[in-house]
Amino acid sequence: MNLSRGRGRHAAWLALATGLVAAQPGAPTAPAAAEPAAEAASAPVSLSARKVYEQARTQLVQIRTLLKGRGSQTSVGSGFFVSADGLIVTNFHVVSEAALKPEHHDLVYVTADGREAPVAILQIDVLHDLALLKAADSKGRRFDALPLRATDAKPLAQGERIYSLGNPLDVGFAVAEGTYNGVVRRSFYPQIFFGGALSAGMSGGPALDQEGQVVGINVARRVDGEQVSFLVPAAFATALIARGRDAPPIKTPAYDVVDQQLLVHQAALTDRFLQQGWKSGTHPRYKVPVPPDVFMRCWGSSEPSRTGGLDVERSDCAMDTRIFVGDYTTGAISLRHESYDGTRLGALRFAARYAQSFRNESFVRLSPEHQTRPMCHEDYVDPNGLPLRAVVCLRAYKKLPQLYDVSVLVATLDQNQAGVQGRLDALGVSFENAQKLSRRYIEAYGWVR
Amino acid sequence: MGALARADDDAGARTAQPAGDDGSTAERLAPSMAGAPAPHARALLEVIDRDGHVRQVWTIHQWPARIGRALDNDVVLTDPHVAPHHCRLDHPNDGALRLEAGETLNGVMVGTRRVAAGMSAELKPERDGEIALVAGRTRLRLRLAEEPLAPEVPLATHAVRRLRVLPTFVLGVLLVAGVAFATYLDSDPDNFVRSAGNTLLAGLSIAALWCGAWALLSKTITRQGHFGWHLRVFLIAALALLGLNAVPGLVAFAFSWPWIASFAFIGTFVVGAAALYFHLLGVEPTRPNRLRWVVGVGAAVGIALTMWFNQQRTGRLGDELYMAHLYPPGLRLVRPVPVERFIDKLGALHATLDKKAREPATDDAFASDPGNDGRDDDN
Repeated sequence: MNLSRGRGRHAAWLALATGLVAAQPGAPTAPAAAEPAAEAASAPVSLSARKVYEQARTQLVQIRTLLKGRGSQTSVGSGFFVSADGLIVTNFHVVSEAALKPEHHDLVYVTADGREAPVAILQIDVLHDLALLKAADSKGRRFDALPLRATDAKPLAQGERIYSLGNPLDVGFAVAEGTYNGVVRRSFYPQIFFGGALSAGMSGGPALDQEGQVVGINVARRVDGEQVSFLVPAAFATALIARGRDAPPIKTPAYDVVDQQLLVHQAALTDRFLQQGWKSGTHPRYKVPVPPDVFMRCWGSSEPSRTGGLDVERSDCAMDTRIFVGDYTTGAISLRHESYDGTRLGALRFAARYAQSFRNESFVRLSPEHQTRPMCHEDYVDPNGLPLRAVVCLRAYKKLPQLYDVSVLVATLDQNQAGVQGRLDALGVSFENAQKLSRRYIEAYGWVR
Repeated sequence: MGALARADDDAGARTAQPAGDDGSTAERLAPSMAGAPAPHARALLEVIDRDGHVRQVWTIHQWPARIGRALDNDVVLTDPHVAPHHCRLDHPNDGALRLEAGETLNGVMVGTRRVAAGMSAELKPERDGEIALVAGRTRLRLRLAEEPLAPEVPLATHAVRRLRVLPTFVLGVLLVAGVAFATYLDSDPDNFVRSAGNTLLAGLSIAALWCGAWALLSKTITRQGHFGWHLRVFLIAALALLGLNAVPGLVAFAFSWPWIASFAFIGTFVVGAAALYFHLLGVEPTRPNRLRWVVGVGAAVGIALTMWFNQQRTGRLGDELYMAHLYPPGLRLVRPVPVERFIDKLGALHATLDKKAREPATDDAFASDPGNDGRDDDN
């Protein structure tokens, strides 16, 4: 399908900084150096912010990932103590290099007064992007801990002030004041919409309410907006602590844990996706599968040809939520379709253009280190009597057994001068669910009665 | 004296060696010019150039005839690979024509047979009444007076030329129509005229340059341009390639045979090799067998390399990951399969994918950049 034109605009809308780590792969710290100026423009810190920071200062740490044997840092994030015996909560993406490639990376924490000590990973939660660490020098030491807001506490009201703490861009510990804006709409897992400025490096830092209790953990922001940031609700951290506080440290690459959690995720994702059904009235002639806007968001556009050629209308649906797994993200579903009208072209010319669009599809996503090359199965099918050309391509993850990416590409073949081409992509699903999703997607096509 | 072929010798008028392209004519005319009766020639020994033309002709009036580099030979060859007394041809009245090799390192090739120093061989004319010999690096052709002559070859008459002009013209019209149709398919209605003009102009230029270059090569080597030949080869090859562009895709679409389109490049190689062969035939007409081998091996190597490259790049031998040739729905001849069965067949990929997932990534021939499917909105 012809994607090249429509997509750029959406990408700007949808692009989400999954990583607040200063040194993302491919995004070194250098460009971030320009950002502090923008940071200074945020709201002046109020008295209560100062109070909150004073109280939380000793509980706050910076988490550094160091290259083994070199000592130079490959990424930095933030974290905070949650227990007197040295448990630290941070984001998974802050420690992902150390968790997935422990042979190359060391992890240390640095306190506000500059004390540095190694730290071990006890448990991770890739679905909510959390990690539980333990200070390796905890023997005989007592740490100040931040209290997590109780799971059953009265929810904050929209507009209440909250304070996000962390070490932005490795510049120094900082407090960013903002507002609580409820839960993010259309997120697959609940996330808090924080109306404040977060920067790379603050990932994993706590966001505190007026009483100094942790309401959430800094995780992401929208790069295309202003002060549109996201927090992981504290309840998930509470659950992670309960689950992992006595676990032995993870010393080998944590792909097996990631794999297990992704398998749980894909089961939930597939179920919820298939349960929600499809929107109706998506095309005047065909039933074309478009998901309702529950945890996906659809954008449409219309492109009439300026040269008397093919008129195209598109719809592009994607999830905001994606699961960060080190070098890539996965665990998401997206759909799109394009509706072609070539009345002015004639049958043969329309077919040529329609085929060109069908050809213009890629089924390669990750490098061979992470994924196999695609393998496809194709044939003519006729769900509900509507003839389609269907191609299903699958890729297997190399380090995540039993997880696959599936892409389904279909083109309607009943009219000489018009048609619809659709595509479903499900990243990181089991083979069984890949088959189930493909089937349900293809079966959703048909005639409008 | 030896069987010096020179008629002039008998007349005592000239002793000079024959030389030059027109030697034969000059030689045959010489006796009458000298006004002396010429004995019948027994044989004609021609020195053949590498382009197949006759470089020098020796008329043999008497057997035996001695051939070599030394000046006391009847036939003197200026070739460093020829011995001073290389060989001797004898034709006793009661016997067959024989060749005796003299003191030579290289011997004499009679057809494909080598006659070494001191050996002798009987010479038998080929079907065309001629005997092919190679002494050193000099190609010789011996024609015997008693052998029947091949019939006269008519010149290409106007009628014959007209017979060739019409098919060439038809081929040209077909090609122009084909190119115009392909342009029509690829352009929007508002742009068609301009696109067609551009394509035709480009096509004509390419055709002229291509055929001109081949004709130049032909002219350099065979002394004839053979432009018409090269033009016909070009037209037929271009039409075949145009057909190959559409037909495998159409068949793949009609019968749901993706492999046909995926391996259509084999057809392209075959057409290309055939075109090259016929072009080369216009340049080197004397060695069709060798050309066939060269071109055939070239095509096989090209196909093998393409497959190897595909295998490295995509893990498949064919060109296409999936069949992306769509034609008007009426041209589909196979019936759709039920969705259930389609999805079940997907299951066959499971084991293969799992096996490949366990293989370590070894190649770095990864052509596409990750995330180019456009679904990567992260960061």
